[in-house]
Amino acid sequence: MLGKLTLQAIPFDHPVPLFAGSFVVLVVLCVVVWIALKGYVPYLWREWITSVDHKRIGVMYVLLACLMMLRGFIDAIMMRSQQTFAFHAAGYLPPEHFDQIFSSHGTIMIFFAAMPFMIGLMNFAVPLQLGVRDVAFPTLNNTSFWLTCVGALLINVSLLVGEFARTGWIPYPPLSELTYSPGVGVDYYLWSLLISGVGTLLTGINFVTTILKIRAPGMSYTRMPMFCWTALASNLLIVAAFPILTATLAMLTLDRYLGFHFFSNEAGGNPMMFVNLIWAWGHPEVYILVLPAFGIFAEVISTFSNRPLFGYRSMVIATMAFVIVTYTVWLHHFFTMGAGADVNGIFGIATTIIGLITGVKVFNWLFTMYGGRIVFASPMLWSIGFLVTFCIGGVTGMLLAVPPADFLVHNSTFLVAHFHNVIIGGVIFAGFAGLTYWFPKAFGFRLDEGWGKAAFWLTLIGFYVVFVPLYITGLQGMPRRMQHYDFALWHPWIVAAAFGIVLLFCAMVCQVIQLRVSIRHRDELRDDTGDPWNGRSLEWATASPAPAFNFAVLPRVHGAEPYWEIKRRAIETQQTAEPQYEPIELSRNSPVGVITAFFAFFVGFAMIWHIWWMAILGVVGAYAAFVWFAWRDVEDYTISAAEVAQLDRARRRVHEEWLTQHARELA
Amino acid sequence: MSTTEALPQAYGRVIDPYSLGRDRRGDAGGGRIYVTGRGEGGPASRRVIVGFGFWIFLLSDIVMFSVFFAAHAVLQTETAGGPSGRELFNPSHIAIETACLLASSFTCGMAAVAIEARSQAWTQVSLLITGLLGLAFVVLEAGDFATMIREGAGPDRSAFLSSFFAVVGLHGLHVSAGLLWLGTMMAQVFVKGFRPDILHRLLCFNLFWHVLDIIWVALFTLVYLVGALR
Amino acid sequence: MSYDWNVDVAPGFMDATRRSVRQGITSYLIGLALAVALTAASFYVAYTNLVWAPGIPIALAALGIAQIGVHIVFFLHMTTAPDNTNNALALALGVVIVALIMIGSLWIMANLNQRMMPMDQIMQMQR
Repeated sequence: MLGKLTLQAIPFDHPVPLFAGSFVVLVVLCVVVWIALKGYVPYLWREWITSVDHKRIGVMYVLLACLMMLRGFIDAIMMRSQQTFAFHAAGYLPPEHFDQIFSSHGTIMIFFAAMPFMIGLMNFAVPLQLGVRDVAFPTLNNTSFWLTCVGALLINVSLLVGEFARTGWIPYPPLSELTYSPGVGVDYYLWSLLISGVGTLLTGINFVTTILKIRAPGMSYTRMPMFCWTALASNLLIVAAFPILTATLAMLTLDRYLGFHFFSNEAGGNPMMFVNLIWAWGHPEVYILVLPAFGIFAEVISTFSNRPLFGYRSMVIATMAFVIVTYTVWLHHFFTMGAGADVNGIFGIATTIIGLITGVKVFNWLFTMYGGRIVFASPMLWSIGFLVTFCIGGVTGMLLAVPPADFLVHNSTFLVAHFHNVIIGGVIFAGFAGLTYWFPKAFGFRLDEGWGKAAFWLTLIGFYVVFVPLYITGLQGMPRRMQHYDFALWHPWIVAAAFGIVLLFCAMVCQVIQLRVSIRHRDELRDDTGDPWNGRSLEWATASPAPAFNFAVLPRVHGAEPYWEIKRRAIETQQTAEPQYEPIELSRNSPVGVITAFFAFFVGFAMIWHIWWMAILGVVGAYAAFVWFAWRDVEDYTISAAEVAQLDRARRRVHEEWLTQHARELA
Repeated sequence: MSTTEALPQAYGRVIDPYSLGRDRRGDAGGGRIYVTGRGEGGPASRRVIVGFGFWIFLLSDIVMFSVFFAAHAVLQTETAGGPSGRELFNPSHIAIETACLLASSFTCGMAAVAIEARSQAWTQVSLLITGLLGLAFVVLEAGDFATMIREGAGPDRSAFLSSFFAVVGLHGLHVSAGLLWLGTMMAQVFVKGFRPDILHRLLCFNLFWHVLDIIWVALFTLVYLVGALR
Repeated sequence: MSYDWNVDVAPGFMDATRRSVRQGITSYLIGLALAVALTAASFYVAYTNLVWAPGIPIALAALGIAQIGVHIVFFLHMTTAPDNTNNALALALGVVIVALIMIGSLWIMANLNQRMMPMDQIMQMQR
């Protein structure tokens, strides 16, 4: 009846996952009950869960990312503490648990923390920066979000029901084949990523179409903000790379479920082919993560240096060059796995070339700052921290790009420190910079600067205290993923890294306090003008928080920095003419996304536990929901011109007051 | 969305202001669309948006197929002592399947002509024939698979057979999903007529069906014909 | 006043050149005829001695690419005209990615297979 699922799946005899899982279930239940009792359910359903508004979806993505980052961070704390204790000792985590922890740490951080963070910020900012009302396919956008949530949910369910993969975040066969991983762990991994991979692919299609086909009148390709260019490149990579992930994981699934022989040890299977194909996805994936980060920094550095971005065209060329070059380097993830010197050499050279392209961008950011009036608000601090940290990470990457050197440090903690260096320094710093930068546009008030700066400094210092010792132990020969070790040379460095984790924990606490304090003091921190940072792109041309329709009238773009031009003209002429208001059509909300995701969850869960009837019902249900949605007759709802006018006049009044106040200073 | 507003048309055709073509001077802004090839015209029409978005999806699907093709190319010789392509493939079956799919692609094109002419009867007839030909293809292919499995040449026999069943089966799955979609579309056109959003979906189906035939061309060339040489 | 509008279309649909029903049917018929001819040629090349044996895979590949081209032009109505540039560029990117994946994978796997012991031999060594 229930396939392989029995009560034995719950880890009653393993205290750590039992406690952790029960704790999570308890917290979730308390939150759900509190929401229900307070009567927030209709509001949440109407305004957030079924919302097709890109701003709401962006906020939900970022929320998911922050929650999953918390879970991944707890995994990290467990790993660091285990290694601190496990010198000439067994530590407190048995090997089979430690393996699951490093696997879930990687999977959650990459797929459910870093990706949703960047996708959320792109969701929020790209349509606003393009000067339009929403993305190309709003309902598809909502569906993508909920499918990603289902993936995250499945991994968290594995904590309490069953187990997770023990293979690392990339499940190499033959270890991940049924023979050597007979449990459900790898299946949880596979179905979680197969389902959320569909969501991500749909996001890629959505944004490529939006950026290429839906822009404000007058916004030619060379007038798009840099963040939109990097979003385009990142989403093109998603469209080109995620099918590879889906295909490769599907092949592994076929091996495990139907006895296929793609990667098996016998009957002609080739495990190295998995390694090859998965890294053909894996390398573009890290560029999918880091390109939006580059875009965020371009925006932030330009705004907080009060200068236009230096070298716009070379940045655009560098960004689009990434899209092709990133497909020529993937072998550097497995230099040591049997390829000849000629193959290794070519891919090593290609990797070095990609570093060159990144260098172009770094110099452009630096030259943007040079000669500008720099404001050291916390987004700018994150950017400066990024410039230093990412460059160090990039340089260690160049070391790894040389195959003979890589033979010494492959799969050591040097590698671990390198990729955390670039991902934390690049993606996470960008996430927090973007979050602080766009928070007022989303919610109408700024985040508290003091706690933000504290969080930044603790994160920066904490990061170095954790990972510089890991670089050193890597050079001293320590492999990654060690559950225990006896080599005294490494021990003091591991202990030092643990102190760094304490600092990072304090940083996380500061972030939470920052949010609480900001909400408490939101009236003092309120952003009335819609433009708290003296911005240069179009999202600052509308009110904070941005209304549902984004812009009362689609802006007409005349120059390179669209909003800067509008501001200048307004200041010069001391007036902003009231536009001709027209009724606005927006896409209606729809529950199809969350319903499809609901069925997708049961399909995934059923396939993991071999409950075939549930899987079939889930597929039928998802298809039925889709057909029911396709049958609807009314797609849009209209906001009348009078309503638009009323909402917009409030914003214009504040703007005019600001103009008269600042007229003298800025004249 | 205001992007559903009608954009200016010329000669009855929809204009996409995002064409990357040569520089053309037109009316300079001020409410009219002018196209310079640099993408300055404002949001494109809904039809162009839907069509382009679906085209991007199809390209991602082609990339996914190419991964299975690559796996098959690598594993084509790994027969592990079991049967190889030369022994298994039946040229007449493959020829009939190819004919069915090619003919269905043609009738799908006829359906596109009928839709342009807004003829309900011809649209339903050509879509029906497309569906029947597609169904014939799927049934034949499923029959072939069943025979191979019965003779002990199933996907669990060798890596060659695994990759063969995967790549051909993936295509068959796409055709089957397309048939399901086709049935739904026929019902929708019948009930709701030639509404704009229905037309957009028919456009997408048209693209999908032709791309499936393109993938079949690659499939029968690389998998069956080249495979039969080994 | 003649406006030289750049007319762009969604890929694949007929309204690009505003053909009549008869023109539309003719274009599809030509495509079908060409495709049938190329398919027949492929089968003939594969199963007879027309082409020198080692050259058969290349001949098949050429015929396949030609037929894909016929499909793209006559069935999908994709041309190199400026009104189709976005769609053609997207296709070009797809083709480049597919080529990189296939050529890269084949090269890497061939190199590995040449240098490393086959898996079943390694397994026998474990026993």
